[in-house]
Amino acid sequence: MKRIKIDKNKCMACYNCILACMMEHNEKGKDIYSLDLEDKSNECRNHIEVNHSKENIPIFCRHCDEPECVNTCMSGAMKKNPHTGYVEYDEEKCASCFMCVMSCKYGVLKIDEETKSKIVKCDMCENRETPRCVENCPTRAIYFEEV
Amino acid sequence: MKCCTSADHKLLDFVKVKGENTSFNRVLDQQIKCGFGQQGVCCRLCSNGPCRITPKSPQGVCGATADTIVGRNFLRSVASGAACYLHIVETTARNLKKTGEEKGVLKGVETLNELAKAFGVEEEDMHLKAEKVADLVLRDLYKPRFEKMELTEKIAYGPRVDKWKELGIMPGGAKSEVFDAIVKSSTNLNSDPVDMLMHSLNLGISTGLYGLTLTNLLNDVMLGEPVIRQAKVGFKVVDEDYINIMITGHQHSIIGHLQDYLISDEVKKSAQDVGAKGFKLVGCTCVGQDLQLRGEHYEEVFSGHAGNNFTSEPLISTGAIDLILSEFNCTLPGIEDLADKYQVKMICLDDVAKKKNSEYMEFSMEKRVEISKKIVEEALNNYGKRRSEIEINIPKDHGHDDVITGVSEKSLKKFLGDSYKPLLSLIASGQIKGVAAVVGCSNLTAKGHDVFTVELTRELIKRDIIVLSAGCSSGGLENVGLMSPKAADLAGDKLKEVCKSLGIPPVLNFGPCLAIGRLEIVATELARELGIDIPQLPLVLSAPQWLEEQALADGAFGLALGLPLHLAIPPFVTGSKVITKVLTEDLPSITGGQLILDDDVISTADRLEKIVMDRRMALGL
Repeated sequence: MKRIKIDKNKCMACYNCILACMMEHNEKGKDIYSLDLEDKSNECRNHIEVNHSKENIPIFCRHCDEPECVNTCMSGAMKKNPHTGYVEYDEEKCASCFMCVMSCKYGVLKIDEETKSKIVKCDMCENRETPRCVENCPTRAIYFEEV
Repeated sequence: MKCCTSADHKLLDFVKVKGENTSFNRVLDQQIKCGFGQQGVCCRLCSNGPCRITPKSPQGVCGATADTIVGRNFLRSVASGAACYLHIVETTARNLKKTGEEKGVLKGVETLNELAKAFGVEEEDMHLKAEKVADLVLRDLYKPRFEKMELTEKIAYGPRVDKWKELGIMPGGAKSEVFDAIVKSSTNLNSDPVDMLMHSLNLGISTGLYGLTLTNLLNDVMLGEPVIRQAKVGFKVVDEDYINIMITGHQHSIIGHLQDYLISDEVKKSAQDVGAKGFKLVGCTCVGQDLQLRGEHYEEVFSGHAGNNFTSEPLISTGAIDLILSEFNCTLPGIEDLADKYQVKMICLDDVAKKKNSEYMEFSMEKRVEISKKIVEEALNNYGKRRSEIEINIPKDHGHDDVITGVSEKSLKKFLGDSYKPLLSLIASGQIKGVAAVVGCSNLTAKGHDVFTVELTRELIKRDIIVLSAGCSSGGLENVGLMSPKAADLAGDKLKEVCKSLGIPPVLNFGPCLAIGRLEIVATELARELGIDIPQLPLVLSAPQWLEEQALADGAFGLALGLPLHLAIPPFVTGSKVITKVLTEDLPSITGGQLILDDDVISTADRLEKIVMDRRMALGL
């Protein structure tokens, strides 16, 4: 399977990856001009934090080989797809216990801001060959690689 | 080789073969865009920033919302664009004033008389008259913001002036309005998006009436009025047997003396002495369009118009250009490396367009003879140095021989029999459904160089809507043959019939972007003839491939005039709901104008056609 890899030294915190994620998951259309930057219901699945040394740290779902989020999920909402290797989230099955959030050692998973009832989770842009965040990174701080 | 797709495939093939580093391939390395920039919500006005608006951070550090940030950015862009055009009219008026003072040649006496009459100048001596007219323009430009410009009312259409007064957007001294727009949009000053939007419309008015309209008319006085004629366009106009001077910019009056000097016997002989047939000016960007428009007066020295903004780089790579004269935009920085490689001497006549490898000669009317002599000297030297070392490769199959040019508000009226009535009758009878002005620049992103412009124009003429064009859009349209009479075959049956009977193409070539001001006069004359206001006309405006801040100032003029304005790429405002709503929904009830954002050719044509049809119906047609 392919994974999104990170070279934090190249990240300029331009947030292009964040906008790309929001565009791809925007119900009103997938282009930049359809994106409402004030719409709290359209959240990005990735984020960029600043560490103690003031470095930019892009945080992306790793779709772990042994995902703790899947292991701790009691309702079966979080599943590892055996064919693609991607960790998938099923909102319908989610019991909102947020064990996955607590167990993710990379701090990727987050609870949605608006309803506080579901998980905002990377789906590898489902129908795209390359995730849109990777396509939109101008410095190649995030890249797509076979692992 | 990576390359942008172009409507002008002959040019594209040439670019690919030459393999030079041009905008056509650099555009691919710039494909990843910053979404905050595209939506206009990136603020770099203070050192707390750059701040960006996201759902998690809906305000900048200072508290500015998306509406405020977009408002400030938009006003700054329009102010910059307005400033560019106001610089052009200032230069032009100064040159006219000096021409008057020095009793120089005035080729457009009819226009001078009309201007003097409109401005209330009573003066018998033509040179004094020119001075007085120029002085009035300059005096208005230099007024403070709290004093309204006097000529605005004298040159604008009455019902529009009333509307602008009602809205409080009549411009004070134009340069001061630009100045205060910059003040207003600085950090922690104005935060009202609607106030900043209205200021943008105010800037649009002075851009349109002074920067565009008056620049044309003052140039007509000095350089001669446009005359309808056929001309050659495209790279085929370049003749390697001559010493070729490529011109780039917008200020024709700066070139005026040189074009007469180049055909003097002494200069022609100097060219022959080094083995050339003489000198030629090769038209490039809008100043080339201006020369083409007035080409009737300069047939011997003007070789023809080669192309628009992004054509200039390939033009240098033909190897046939010996010297480049720049005096304004669109003088791309990319031409610098190519000029070095092809050993082309670069001279700049106005420091606003100073390229890093050009020699700067400050132009003034007093020094014009000296400057023209120096340019000729440099061109002769460079011709001698470079021609044995540079291979020349001109795609002579690029372009057309029969482009109709020289169309202006006056020449068109003359052509129609000294009245716009025949055009109005054709519109009334439905032979021509309506009028679309497709104007502005080309960019490499809205489908590719000239692609959107050409495709939209084709679609509109198919629907019997006659297209008028001014700006780099006209450079693209003429190079693909849409401004040649044979293009009549591409029009709808009714428009085709009109074109064939009059021997005109379905796309009329008004020349440079400055001539958007001429289109405004046409619109005004049509409205006046019908006794209606401009927003009632079955007339739409599209700048599909707008590129620069200047285009935004032009657009602001269109919106202030009350015209529907289409853009394929939003002007970096969509991050603000207030501004987007005012521009796209509320404006019809404010100025009568409307911004239409659409990146699809067919749906754009559908929407523009619907507006034309609705207006026809409202007029009872």
